[in-house]
This record gives sequence, structure tokens and C-alpha cells, in this order.
Amino acid sequence: MRHKRTNLETELRANRPQPSDEFVNRLEGRVREGRRSRAGSFRVAFAGSLAAGVLAALASVGGLGYASNATGEAVQKAKRVVKSSHGTAVVRKSPSRDQYGKPKVKKKAKKKAKKKAKGRAFARPPFTG
Amino acid sequence: MLRVDPLRNPEPLIRRVYGYVAYRIGDGPDAEDITSETFERALRYQKSFDPQKGEPLAWLIGIARRLIEGRPPTLELAIEVPDRSDGGDLEDVTLRRLALSGAVSRLEPRDRDLIALRYGADLTARQIAEELDLRTNAVEVALHRALGRLRAAIEEPGDPPVRKQGTAR
Repeated sequence: MRHKRTNLETELRANRPQPSDEFVNRLEGRVREGRRSRAGSFRVAFAGSLAAGVLAALASVGGLGYASNATGEAVQKAKRVVKSSHGTAVVRKSPSRDQYGKPKVKKKAKKKAKKKAKGRAFARPPFTG
Repeated sequence: MLRVDPLRNPEPLIRRVYGYVAYRIGDGPDAEDITSETFERALRYQKSFDPQKGEPLAWLIGIARRLIEGRPPTLELAIEVPDRSDGGDLEDVTLRRLALSGAVSRLEPRDRDLIALRYGADLTARQIAEELDLRTNAVEVALHRALGRLRAAIEEPGDPPVRKQGTAR
């Protein structure tokens, strides 16, 4: 009885219906393709969530303000460097200036208007010789 | 927590799901359709797979079972087995295979399901018990009886085996 049952079980396993190789290959390809596309979207979602997590962590310790300050300073420094390299430098003290003369700087002479003293006249004592 | 991909190695899973489906509804295009649909659904609902509840194969077999139970009833053609072979090992093997398929197709749905789960999908009695929400011991007993009825069906082709009153399911 035991032997018979074992035979039947073996037979059932051995004669298990098998799909055609073509069907297996086709379905396997579809499954792998489906997995790949899902894995791609999962990767994008993972990267996004990671970035959001980093931002949240930074914001919680004031890192965002620090980062924005640092960025602002860097921008200012970069601007300065760029400006000085492209702008016209005016040299005020140079041998050529000494040789060809300094540009005359016209100073407006202050006219000191003599104001007549108003009010009580000054009385000088008479010349007596 | 790392997500487990249940369809990482699909080829052996395809063969075993097909084995189960073919024992349930017969070998051929219908079995291929159900197997394909099973994997389509598995891809769609991949997130619902919980490795703590069972292995990927058991999960796929669960999907296939629901698909088979939900499909509209179809006319099942009886497999005709010639009375005797005229000789040749290959022919004998083929005849034996046909006799086996015919006998399985004549079993009651419950017995057929058990045979398909055990010998088509190659699930263990414990995995079957989890799938059918039964105790392992009950599954072993039910399988033993289903095998007895299958043997009777093979020995007496044509007459569907009758379940005795009061036998455990």
C-alpha cells in the first residue's frame, strides 16, 4: 500500500504538466521588464525622499540659513573678483603721471567776502604823530 | 526595511504555477492564460507581498487560485485514454500520463485542488494548510484520501470516484 502510494506520488510529480519553453521565456521576459520599470520608478522615488530627508534634517538644525549665508558670501566674493578683473582700474600714482603731470585739479577758491561789520562802527583813536 | 522582491527569479515560479493551474483546469492555452494573468497581477500588486506571511510561490498560488475560482465556468473536455497501447515505451509513458491527467480531471474540485497544490505547485503540507486555513494534519489526511480516490479513478477509468459520506475534506 505504502509502495503503491509512493509510486503514485512520484508519478504525479514526474508527470506534472510542463509549460512550453516558448511560453516560459515570453512570460519571464515580461516579468523582468515589469520589474525593471518598477525598479526605475522606485529609484527615482527613493532619491527624492532621500533629498527631502536631508533638507528636513538640515532645516531642523538651522543648516539652511547657514548654507544660504555661505552661498551669499560666496556669490559676493565671486562678484568682486569678476568686477575687478573686468573693470577699468584707475591708477592714481604712477611714474607716467609724475612725468606727464598730474591732472590739474581745479579747486574752487573760496572767496572770502569781506563782510562789512554791521552794527556799531569801530572808532579808531586819532593819529597823533 | 529592505523590500523583498518576490519575482526576482521568475522562471521556476512560472513552471510551478503552471503545474498547479494545469492540474486544476487542464493542460493547454487556458492554463497559460491563467498563469500569465497570475504574474500580471503579481507585478501589479507586488507591494502587497508580505514575506512574513509566506514564500513568493505560496503568494502566487493564492493569486492563481482566486483567478481560477473567479473565472466563468467552461466546458471541460474529457480526456479520452485509449484502452491499450500497441507497444513502445514512449507510447506507454504517454498513455500513462494521459490516464493520470484524465483521472485527476475526474476528481472532485476539492481533491483536485489538493493534488494540484501538492504535486503541481510542489507545496508542502504546511504551506497548503496555510493557504487553505487548515491544520497541517488535516491536510495530510485529506491528501491521503484524495490519493486513494485518484488511484481508484486510474484503476477504473470512466467512473468518477465518489466521496464517501462523512469523510474529512
